[in-house]
Amino acid sequence: MTVALVLLTLLVGAWLLAVIEAWLTTGRLRPVAPLLAGLSHLGRESILARKPDRLFFETAPVLLLVVAVLGAAVLPLAPDLVIADLATGALFLNAVLAYVLVSLIMAGWGPNGAYAMVGGWRFLGQLIAYSMLIVMPITATAMRAESLLNSAIVESQAGLWNIVYQPLGFVLFFIAAIALAFRSPFDLPTAPGELAGGVDAEYTGVRLAVLRLARLVMVITLSAATTVFFLGGWQGPLLPPWAWSLIKTLAVAVSMLLVGFYLPRIREADLLGWCWKLGIPLALLNILIVGLLILVVP
Amino acid sequence: MVVQAFFVGVFGLAAIGFGVAVFRTASMVRSALALLFSQAAVGCMFLAMQAEFLGVLQIMMMATEMSIMAIFMVMFMMDPGGLGGMDMSHQKRFSIGAGAIAAATAISVALFSDWGPIVAEAPDAAMQTRELGFEMLGRSMLVFETAAITILTAMIAATAVAIPVRQPGVDTGKLDKGNGDKEQEASK
Amino acid sequence: MSEAATTLAGARKGRPSILRRWVGQALARNLSCLVVPGPEVALAHGLDLAAADMRIAATPRDATVLLIVGELSQKLDEATAVLYAQMPRPRAILVLGGSAPSSLPQADVSADLSQTELMEAATRLQRLLAEDAFAASPDDFDSSILQAKTEYVCPMHPEVVEDEPGSCPKCGMDLVAREAGGDSDAGEHDHDHDHEHHGHEHDHDHEHESEEHDHHHAHHNDHGQSHEHHHDHEHHQNHKRAHDHEQHQGDDDHEHAHCHEHEDHGHQQSTAQEQSGTEYICPMHPEIRQNEPGSCPKCGMDLEPHKPEEDEGVREGVPEHDHEHHHDHSGHDHDGHDHSDHDHDSSGFMSMVEVTKDLPRSADGLAMDWLEVPFGPCFPGLPGGLKLTLTLDGDGVTEGQATSLVAMNTSSEEVAVETFIERLAAAMPLAPVSYRLLACRAIEQAAGLEPDPAVERGRAAALERERIASHLGWLAQLGRQLSFVWLTRRAAALQLETQRADREQLVALRPALQSLIARLEHTPLLKARLKGIGALPHGSQDLRGPVARASGRTEDARQADAMYRELGFEMRAESAGDAWARLRQRHVEIMTSLDLVEVAGDPELPKLRAIDNPSGTGEATVETPRGRATLRLTQERGQVVSVELDSACSQHIGLVADLVEGQELGDALVAVGSLDLSPWEVTS
Repeated sequence: MTVALVLLTLLVGAWLLAVIEAWLTTGRLRPVAPLLAGLSHLGRESILARKPDRLFFETAPVLLLVVAVLGAAVLPLAPDLVIADLATGALFLNAVLAYVLVSLIMAGWGPNGAYAMVGGWRFLGQLIAYSMLIVMPITATAMRAESLLNSAIVESQAGLWNIVYQPLGFVLFFIAAIALAFRSPFDLPTAPGELAGGVDAEYTGVRLAVLRLARLVMVITLSAATTVFFLGGWQGPLLPPWAWSLIKTLAVAVSMLLVGFYLPRIREADLLGWCWKLGIPLALLNILIVGLLILVVP
Repeated sequence: MVVQAFFVGVFGLAAIGFGVAVFRTASMVRSALALLFSQAAVGCMFLAMQAEFLGVLQIMMMATEMSIMAIFMVMFMMDPGGLGGMDMSHQKRFSIGAGAIAAATAISVALFSDWGPIVAEAPDAAMQTRELGFEMLGRSMLVFETAAITILTAMIAATAVAIPVRQPGVDTGKLDKGNGDKEQEASK
Repeated sequence: MSEAATTLAGARKGRPSILRRWVGQALARNLSCLVVPGPEVALAHGLDLAAADMRIAATPRDATVLLIVGELSQKLDEATAVLYAQMPRPRAILVLGGSAPSSLPQADVSADLSQTELMEAATRLQRLLAEDAFAASPDDFDSSILQAKTEYVCPMHPEVVEDEPGSCPKCGMDLVAREAGGDSDAGEHDHDHDHEHHGHEHDHDHEHESEEHDHHHAHHNDHGQSHEHHHDHEHHQNHKRAHDHEQHQGDDDHEHAHCHEHEDHGHQQSTAQEQSGTEYICPMHPEIRQNEPGSCPKCGMDLEPHKPEEDEGVREGVPEHDHEHHHDHSGHDHDGHDHSDHDHDSSGFMSMVEVTKDLPRSADGLAMDWLEVPFGPCFPGLPGGLKLTLTLDGDGVTEGQATSLVAMNTSSEEVAVETFIERLAAAMPLAPVSYRLLACRAIEQAAGLEPDPAVERGRAAALERERIASHLGWLAQLGRQLSFVWLTRRAAALQLETQRADREQLVALRPALQSLIARLEHTPLLKARLKGIGALPHGSQDLRGPVARASGRTEDARQADAMYRELGFEMRAESAGDAWARLRQRHVEIMTSLDLVEVAGDPELPKLRAIDNPSGTGEATVETPRGRATLRLTQERGQVVSVELDSACSQHIGLVADLVEGQELGDALVAVGSLDLSPWEVTS
């Protein structure tokens, strides 16, 4: 039952996100458009490039979708609405998100094309940049909760949400989440203007539909993660817990879209430079501050 | 219990299977990712043995590590696509010997070590994490701190060593951004 | 007029069923177009695709409709066939303002080049797709351009490319077949190698197992940079010594003798090897040894002579000097001087560093596979019609070259003067007004007419309006390149409004333009993206237009024009000469042009004035949005007999090679984009 509900939430979230994204890009609000787009992709020819690595080419979109769903599986939408509230939930989320890289490497290598390959390996560079910035803020939230259980992390924010308690962590996590989902301004692997679609370039038909769905669900999962770790999860007055979760998740997802809409793509060298010279010291500082707050403040 | 043993066996076989695939394939990336999945299977074995933290950690680390190995293999090896059909195995006698010796060692360690008394039930994952934490910051702190500093030093040294030495006085006429970027980034 | 086919030429094979009808209808309501030559051309013609319910696709794989705007040149025609083949079926062709290219099947819908026609054509296309997306037995699309050519390359020396199978002139290795595609699928790993050597390998493994042991030990481990080489070499050393200790009793004669021949301890047995003469070893497969020269049966490489006594002296030096010099490996003057004759050292181990020492290296010292990748001609983010061929190593560009597939052919055929003007304007879709003005002025000058201030005012206003529109179009293209969606939308909308605006409307656009410019100056990542990128080498000759003024050159053809002085024109220039400076320069020019239009009055399209002496030679210069263009023509009795056109983009396109060398791919593409090349204005 919970499985079905969570999956439904993911699908509805993905659909809403697609509608809002189309609205930002074209200025028209067409609720039925993503469904039509999905249907049209299903009906189109699936083209295979010359001499592809077939195994990787087929596996990559599926792996990306699986990663997104598994990530959502450990995030609680309400105190009792979580597929698997693992005792190492925060770490599990990290583990699963690491496979986004594997999926993109497969998608880059599989089609045997230059654009896809450059896109795939670029994402590895991007991972070097954002990877620490995902882990360290989560560590700080787990410190406050004194547990890796995601529901414990939410409950530890009962008095004060983490976005206020550790704002630095929130900002870094938000940025790193956009980089993980490889959305603008971090869309180096897909780079529509530089790599003609990069890793997305050679996919058509069903595989493209799965890939697009996977990307949207990934944004929802990451937004849900931000909500759980920094925005107090399901907590809030008046409305039922799941409603608060959904509202917050959607708010974070839309803000990720807006950030992408209003910013140009970053240079890879700049991304690496800023993340390692600025981001990681700040993340360490965040851990230090949180540690002091926990020990000093009663 | 039976179910657990079954899954441990299944993941173990998967680990071996993927491990064999590492050397059977001629494609560099397939080889690296096969190793990745082999290690992930080992991580799943840990999960099946109820060592949740270890299992999740293993799965997480291997993804990034093997992918980085994949890119280095692609950069430095000829024919990374494997379509040239070169034989990927080398030093056959040595490796067979080493493998046999390693297997014998591992099996004898497994059989003849004193693993302590068998616990009736494994502690739950939350308790395991807690105890791991105490262990790492207590008895094993020195070990981990030393290892961490060593790794950090190695990282910095490797980066410093990999920077090409800039010839003084040579004006390549190139821009600051681009090829000079890496030098700038690392030298700051 | 416009017609529509009754069936879709690019239908997908399948019997029409309910589900397929729904798919067709879904496709029809979700039209995604690949615009050929490029979306900027569609915008320049005043087409608003979003209003026609069409989405612009970045790649052919994502597109349902191939939208062709205007007439295509022959080369672009061929390229379009490739693009069409890359689109997944069901696919449709929509041609606006021209005839369907000869390499494609008939256009499914064709219409004239205007917004109303586009909307109508879109509706017809939707109906066609909804009904005919699937057909029981559609025609297959094939074209001679799509045939893949096979070329043969050496796996170790990628620069050796031949059309026939054979041996590499550098190392003797057998060349492997590779498909040479003209489009993006030329990957580096598509060797169609026949595994005929596999059998050999197995046999040899059996016989030479023991020898492989020593050779491949290091061979396998040392595929890496030389400092790794060093570590493993030491390993190798230690292992060998240990091994020798154990094996000293000679239980395995083969290995024993083998080890000893490479020991640098001066063992007795080594002399036996010396006396037997030189052996020939394959550098890649050291277990292949023969007593006479030849080629390796496994890979075809020339066998190299192996002289044990030389190597022994060398071997002492090898581990030490690797130790000391391992961080110098980036230099070409590798310290493997001692055994520079051999690609492998005395133990028969083949160091990848040695083997690759002749390979071209990029600026960071790594020898990687160089891949030639085409970017164009209809690449999203680059001007349509521009074919950029970059040689990439990883994601850095080692060399690049730009050509235009739509360059104008100024061949001499006599045409009537009016026809000439129309042709020139049509041939330059991104700046038609400028070239129309250029032609009119040249012809009037040839006819001996004096400039008429009243007419010149209207013409100047039209030129300035086009300048604003062109720069806005460039901004939209920059937005596409940087996936800066807001900029693309905003700049495209403003461009469409500017193109058909009169003086009042243009003045009313001032606040919108100012806010766009102000916003761009403060966009967080934009400056970081553009600053320092695309700086041209010092002493680049013949820069023109905004590119020149952004580098501090004070050159502007409008300064020499009396009319502009009257209008109060003042030239402005930036100094940095990089992409950011060019952006700012174009901003400044937009505002300057707006001021000029405000003073000058309503824009009027240049029309040829009445000429009574239709013979003579004339020359005119116009500051087009991309730089100064000069037209020299001779006319006789109302016919244009000779034409000489010198435009800015012909000069700028030659700068691309210098601009992209040594840059990261993204930086290189941004640099090329910042030049604002119009491939049509390149004269062949």
